[in-house]
Amino acid sequence: MDSLKGKGKAGSKGASKLDLLKEWTNWSLKKAKVATHYGFIPLVIVIGMNSDPKPHLFQLLSPV
Amino acid sequence: MADIFPPLVTSQIDAKPKVDEKVDYSNLPCPVPYEELHREASMSLKADNFEGLRFDFGKGLNQKFSLTHSVMMGPTEVPSQSPDTTIKIPTAHYEFGANYFDPKLMLSGKVMTDGRLNARLKADFTDKLILKANAQLTGEPHMSHSVFNFDYMGKDYRAQLQLGNSALIGATYIQSVTPRLSLGGEVFWAGVPRKSGLGYAARYETDQMVASAQVASTGLVAMNYVQKISEKVSLATDFMYNYFSRDVVASVGYDYILRQSRVRGKIDFNGVTSALLEERLSMGLNFLLSAEVDHKKKDYKFGLGLLVG
Repeated sequence: MDSLKGKGKAGSKGASKLDLLKEWTNWSLKKAKVATHYGFIPLVIVIGMNSDPKPHLFQLLSPV
Repeated sequence: MADIFPPLVTSQIDAKPKVDEKVDYSNLPCPVPYEELHREASMSLKADNFEGLRFDFGKGLNQKFSLTHSVMMGPTEVPSQSPDTTIKIPTAHYEFGANYFDPKLMLSGKVMTDGRLNARLKADFTDKLILKANAQLTGEPHMSHSVFNFDYMGKDYRAQLQLGNSALIGATYIQSVTPRLSLGGEVFWAGVPRKSGLGYAARYETDQMVASAQVASTGLVAMNYVQKISEKVSLATDFMYNYFSRDVVASVGYDYILRQSRVRGKIDFNGVTSALLEERLSMGLNFLLSAEVDHKKKDYKFGLGLLVG
């Protein structure tokens, strides 16, 4: 009985660790998806505006 | 085993046509990437026909960085219950894109008015190892896709590992067996519809023709053949067969590359004919005309486009 109880406790602890890991990866993937969704185009623009030869802000915003 | 390494031939340099040279098996060319196996055939046979108006304006801010603005107005198809009728809903949208091209890093992002983002990334970590990522992100939950590919290019082979967002794992490998023939295989495992698949492919090319074939355990058999008639004309034909659902599609197409324009057309044995004309009106100004007529479903699509910059 004691060994069974012991096994039961260890089993639930192990299961909750795995669940915690899964939850953490899901949470981080969701945040990464939102960050990419909002931040990818600004990232490309920042990298492009800092490349040589450096373009002006006016060139970015004007339609011509 | 007989020695298969002949003395290195130097006659590859002169302009005479190659006549039965001894094959140097230690010096084979690198094959095309596995996903570009049917590259020449898809240039004529899978041209992107569109419907409606398309206007693209590209503005380069410097050599590496450019912005694009696209306007598309036209009907988009909605899947319908019966296969005979097609339901089309007129839509119009504007898409803003930013591209950064560097020899080592390529970033491309396009966002539409409804919030959908299409992002692509290609990074060269070393000479031989390339990371490619492709993502379509939407605001709706569970409708986003992303795929990461790690490509390794060896001396006469290429290997690729693919990871996708809903537990998709795939790997492909292609190897040059002779200077003209390359063979490859792929294996994938998809978590969401729990299935795995295996496929094989072969590609034989010479200066005048390319023939390729692909078989997959999802039931797909595809074979195509492209013949280059001259510098300006090439003809292609392809045959696709699904041995589970017994669908057969065969098509014949052409590709004319002329000085100021390019015409691509194809006719299908399902009763679909299509053509795409791209004409260069002047430097940086391209005009597109697209037509696709489906006689069986009575679906007629015509498109007009203008690409600036």
